[in-house]
Amino acid sequence: MVLSQKLHEAFKGTVERITGPRTVSAFREKGVLSVSEFILAGDNLVSKCPTWSWESGEPSKRKSYLPSEKQFLITRNVPCLKRAASIEEEYEDAGGEILVDNEDNDGWLATHGKPKDKCDEDDNLPSMEALEISKKSTVMSISNHFGGEDEEDIPDMAEYDEPDSLIETDPATLQSTYLVVHEPDDDNILRTRTYDVSITYDKYYQTPRVWLTGYDESRMLLQPEYVLEDVSQDHARKTVTIEDHPHLPGKHASIHPCRHGAVMKKIIDVLVSRGVEPEVDKYLFLFLKFVASVIPTIEYDYTMDFDLGSSSS
Amino acid sequence: MAEKGSGSILQFSPFQSSVDEGFWHRLSSLKLNKLGIDDSPIPITGFYAPCSYSQSRVSNYLTLIMESLPSDSDEQSSMAAISHGSRNRCFVPGILYNTNTLESFHAIDKQSLLKEEAKKIWEDIRSGKAVDDSKILSRFLLISFADLKKWNFHYWFAFPALVLDPPATLVDLRPASQWFSLQEAESVSAACNEWRNSSLTADVPFFLVSIAADSHATIRHLKDWEACQGDGQKLLFGFYDPCHLQNNPGWPLRNLLALVFSRWNIKSVRFLCYKENRGFADMGLSLIGEALITVPQGWKELQGVPNAVGWELNNGRKISRRISLAKSMDPTRLAISAA
Repeated sequence: MVLSQKLHEAFKGTVERITGPRTVSAFREKGVLSVSEFILAGDNLVSKCPTWSWESGEPSKRKSYLPSEKQFLITRNVPCLKRAASIEEEYEDAGGEILVDNEDNDGWLATHGKPKDKCDEDDNLPSMEALEISKKSTVMSISNHFGGEDEEDIPDMAEYDEPDSLIETDPATLQSTYLVVHEPDDDNILRTRTYDVSITYDKYYQTPRVWLTGYDESRMLLQPEYVLEDVSQDHARKTVTIEDHPHLPGKHASIHPCRHGAVMKKIIDVLVSRGVEPEVDKYLFLFLKFVASVIPTIEYDYTMDFDLGSSSS
Repeated sequence: MAEKGSGSILQFSPFQSSVDEGFWHRLSSLKLNKLGIDDSPIPITGFYAPCSYSQSRVSNYLTLIMESLPSDSDEQSSMAAISHGSRNRCFVPGILYNTNTLESFHAIDKQSLLKEEAKKIWEDIRSGKAVDDSKILSRFLLISFADLKKWNFHYWFAFPALVLDPPATLVDLRPASQWFSLQEAESVSAACNEWRNSSLTADVPFFLVSIAADSHATIRHLKDWEACQGDGQKLLFGFYDPCHLQNNPGWPLRNLLALVFSRWNIKSVRFLCYKENRGFADMGLSLIGEALITVPQGWKELQGVPNAVGWELNNGRKISRRISLAKSMDPTRLAISAA
């Protein structure tokens, strides 16, 4: 973390401690949410999109201004499909990442090659048009487990291979197909990562904040750095940073909330100009729509289908 | 989508595990602050939900999170918080054997531990406990070694399933929307959504679907099976299916079939693999199948526990998994990355 970021974190923490949470609504004027509006919008998200739930997180990290059972929102195991429309082409472009699965392997994955920089069209303050989920997404390399660089520490797992007697040949067990197939262009094995997506309330910026925890196709944790591959390259490392999660242990990728208020205000203004009166309990649907422009590959676009406010026309 | 020809062996897609970082963090602090070298087994809780992303070919997993473990402080608050599940967190009782050394981790007698868990399932089926509380029909087992000097965690999951020998045959498997009439499908969807939205039933993963002659569907608890008999309605055994596949049911059906056969002596079982699309019942993704069970050898004797399988494969191989959390736990590395 760079020094300026550290200083800012310290400043932000101090301000958060000495100022009370927002209680007066400034949704229309500033695009921000009070604590009670966040709860209201969160309740609405949970009821309309039931894969989302409220959670209480780590007890020691609980925020007193939020109800203990409604500290943050989370949806788990959200697919992040193949990161691009044409995976084959990208495999070539990326220099051919491969599964390390030689005969005496240790069950680890490795990646070679670097993500190629392709950019989405949107800028930091997306227009309504840019909020469409881009078909052309950005990233390609196969995921990696945590700790890949500790190669020399890894005991040779082959010597611990269990005898066949442990896992019996059971005719009623479906032999997994996608895990043993090696051809990356086989249509049956999408390199599907999954994500736990959480939304917390940022008291300083008075907006929701999105966090991403990634898993590879065998549900091993992804290093947050790899998560950046699933983020629009315009935003990776700029608006998307890797920080401590306010309610969960560990480092997670997050969209920095410093411009959230401004973006939300812009979206609200566009809606108003089209004769739609945005309602505060729909805030998170609008918010996720904006988030989708930053992380175009994660599949939660169903929130797009909802009526976003009362139309005056 | 294709209908399976009659007589093929019913094959189940194995359960898969997923452990989030919070679980390892809490295990570490539990080990350091409370357990010490005590390596007695710890009851833990796993969570799963019906598959919600079938179209993206993503199954649901048995997930362990921070709250899967008891808290290391003595207050029971966190356990109280999960004493009731929710629609996205149906619990599965599990047991954790955390060893003190890598050698003892590898030396664990995996076969007998699996048998022990299978015995619990079998006894709960025989006693009827699993009929009254269907949540205990799925169980899991986790063995681990937490190397807290290097922040490495070695682990291996098992999802014990009672084996029908000879295996059940699959007579028919197709999307529920093709099996039901339009009216029935609508009614079943509505009833399932209601079941999933009620806090009393949202996390009950096994259930009965009864469809009256007027196409009206009702979801009921397994224990209502007797009450459902004899009025000419269609009756299906439903379960939350974590698996995304369209040609194979998921793992939880195995123990359900064992229960259905041994409790009620049903040899031809109609089942519903319940799946959702983005949190709502979807009869196009849910499957209906029919399984034929041949009387398994030795099931008549009460004392014998059926054979069990269920150790999870790691990328198709019989090896444990390992995760290193040095990046998020090692204070030296944290200091460097924060500089």
